[in-house]
Amino acid sequence: MDELKSLYRHRQLIAALTARDLKARYRGSILGFFWSLANPLLLLGIYTLAFTKFFPSQVVRPYPLFLFAGILPWTFFSAAVLEATNSIAANAALIKKVMFPAEALPLVVVSSHLVHFVLAMPILFAALALYAYLGEVSVSWVIALLPLLMALQTIFVAGVAMCVSSAAVLLRDLRDIIANLMQLGFFLTPIIYLIDRVESRLLRALLHLNPMTPFVVAYQDILFFGRLPAPADIFLMLAYSLISIGMGFVVFDRLRDTLAEAI
Amino acid sequence: MSYAIALHEVSKSYRLWGRRSQFATLKSALLRRDMKLAPEASVPALKDISFAVDRGEAFGIIGRNGSGKSTLLKIVSGILKPTSGRIDVNGRIAALIELGAGFHPEITGRENIYINGIMLGLSRREIDARFDSIVDFSGIGDFLDQPVKTYSSGMYVRLGFAVAVHVDPDVLLIDEVLSVGDEEFSAKCVAKIQEMKYRGVTLLFVTHQLDQVRNLCDRALWLDHGATASIGDPTRVVDDYLQKVSGSAHAPRTTKQEPEPEPERETTETVEEERWGSGEVVLKRVVLIDDKGFELVALGAGSSVAIDLDVEVRVPQDDFVFGIGIFHADGTCVYGTNTELEGYVPEKLDANARVQFIVPSLDLVAGSYRVDAAVHTRNGRAFDYRRGVLRFVVGSRVHDTGVYRPQHSWKFEGGAHFREVDLVKRNVPAPIAEAIRESKKKT
Repeated sequence: MDELKSLYRHRQLIAALTARDLKARYRGSILGFFWSLANPLLLLGIYTLAFTKFFPSQVVRPYPLFLFAGILPWTFFSAAVLEATNSIAANAALIKKVMFPAEALPLVVVSSHLVHFVLAMPILFAALALYAYLGEVSVSWVIALLPLLMALQTIFVAGVAMCVSSAAVLLRDLRDIIANLMQLGFFLTPIIYLIDRVESRLLRALLHLNPMTPFVVAYQDILFFGRLPAPADIFLMLAYSLISIGMGFVVFDRLRDTLAEAI
Repeated sequence: MSYAIALHEVSKSYRLWGRRSQFATLKSALLRRDMKLAPEASVPALKDISFAVDRGEAFGIIGRNGSGKSTLLKIVSGILKPTSGRIDVNGRIAALIELGAGFHPEITGRENIYINGIMLGLSRREIDARFDSIVDFSGIGDFLDQPVKTYSSGMYVRLGFAVAVHVDPDVLLIDEVLSVGDEEFSAKCVAKIQEMKYRGVTLLFVTHQLDQVRNLCDRALWLDHGATASIGDPTRVVDDYLQKVSGSAHAPRTTKQEPEPEPERETTETVEEERWGSGEVVLKRVVLIDDKGFELVALGAGSSVAIDLDVEVRVPQDDFVFGIGIFHADGTCVYGTNTELEGYVPEKLDANARVQFIVPSLDLVAGSYRVDAAVHTRNGRAFDYRRGVLRFVVGSRVHDTGVYRPQHSWKFEGGAHFREVDLVKRNVPAPIAEAIRESKKKT
């Protein structure tokens, strides 16, 4: 409860720092915000090419839209978590020299990536509208649940970000470990393929252990298939979010006092 | 709850975060599930520090590098947690530990003012209200809307200071920041800090500029290897510190308060004297005398007096300064000077001596005063510093106010007329008053 109160108190700080990050990032660059979209769009192009032209066996139609629905939430998660591992070390001066609420740092990373995620949405909607116009997909009312799903995912990402940001100060290797795990995670999350089409039962069990699986599947359900996520997935998402944010606060609190020294 | 900061037996040990003392492997990190971190070695930085700073007090912390000054400041600010002990702070704290620490080089000064202000605990609206004043104080002018990376380091620091002092804290922690920037800005900072002190802000500051401690602080603490070496009157603490730093190996003074053979001193209230110094040269006796050489404790305004120092030289010196300070009873310094300031270049002090500070006309208003007398080296290390060594009372029938009565007269022309001059009020000596009256009767 205290943590939530202090979060509320720091909301202006988090908002101001997020705005600062975004401004600083795009100042002086010509394409600006487009760069945060470049990577997901590149992935989109590559996988579309690979799975529709090179080995067109697994294709879900329209494949680009399917891919897009999964890549955006994954990019939000992986980019935010990866950057969060460095967030405290990168702001060592603040932690050591200013009375600064350290938990704001990973949260600022999460919120600025959330902004990127939200800003990418219009492009997804445009693609969705195009395919709906072509009659390849139908848009359903469940798309209205999108903000709810994004909120839930943000809570999940925030918890993970808080854990890794504080732990990374003491365990420097964490950044490299996470960078590699993210590469693996991309394939262990049903983004470029449909989870139902995975034949190996072992692999499917493994996929279900990945906490990002229910989130990505839920995005695909809402945006691509136009159906409600499965109750099991909803339950898992709620559970993962709560566990993640709870762990985030506990771990962060535990390490908070050592941050200024260990950094 | 009159204190602003109170420390109770605060100790701090830094853990050594070498490679070995971290988790050796990821496995060990995972196995030790409670995440208890057990470093192998620790370095004590502060040992059992206890003190309290009253509201509105200025408290200085001095000591050589690595003595724990900054650690102490960071603990008070809450950036670091003490290993043991307790800290209580009443009121809103602002810390000037590193100016502009939160600035982002890519965004403008204007944006940085907002971000930095929010970091220091202001709301957006509070910053709006202070914005012009901040910009004005920092003097960055046209650079306000330029990215901070284009600023000179001086501008950077000035902006940082400007934001920090506009937080309106109850307690201000300052770490060495007054020494940055050019003379002009440095003076501006000191003035601002004095203004804050005047408004009742509690100041806790760490500095190597001992003059600042003497001038700004009400009390001081000297930290030596993390422990309290001396605490109290800033002049005395600074002096203790200088003694130590100069590494004087001479015999320390055997007694702090030498028995004074002069019984006359008891004529006034008991004198609370504070005295310190290395004792190589001693002010055996300090008295106020009139122009005939008689000792005085009470005198009329405008008397001709001298402060007489009886100097005993135990170890000959070639670097020495005699100093005198006159203070009003309320602590205001009326006047202070020394031989160094007045251009006397020391050659040698090789035998007992007598030094007189002669004032042909002591133009003070009525009140009680005390005198500090000292003999010290040119860099301020005291041989003998006697604070409040003597007290005297100035009597006057004219109830003018202040401390200094310049020699003066009134001149009236035109339509300003006075019926007569009240000779009693004018403090005119009786025989002269009589003569004046006589002459008036005649006319």
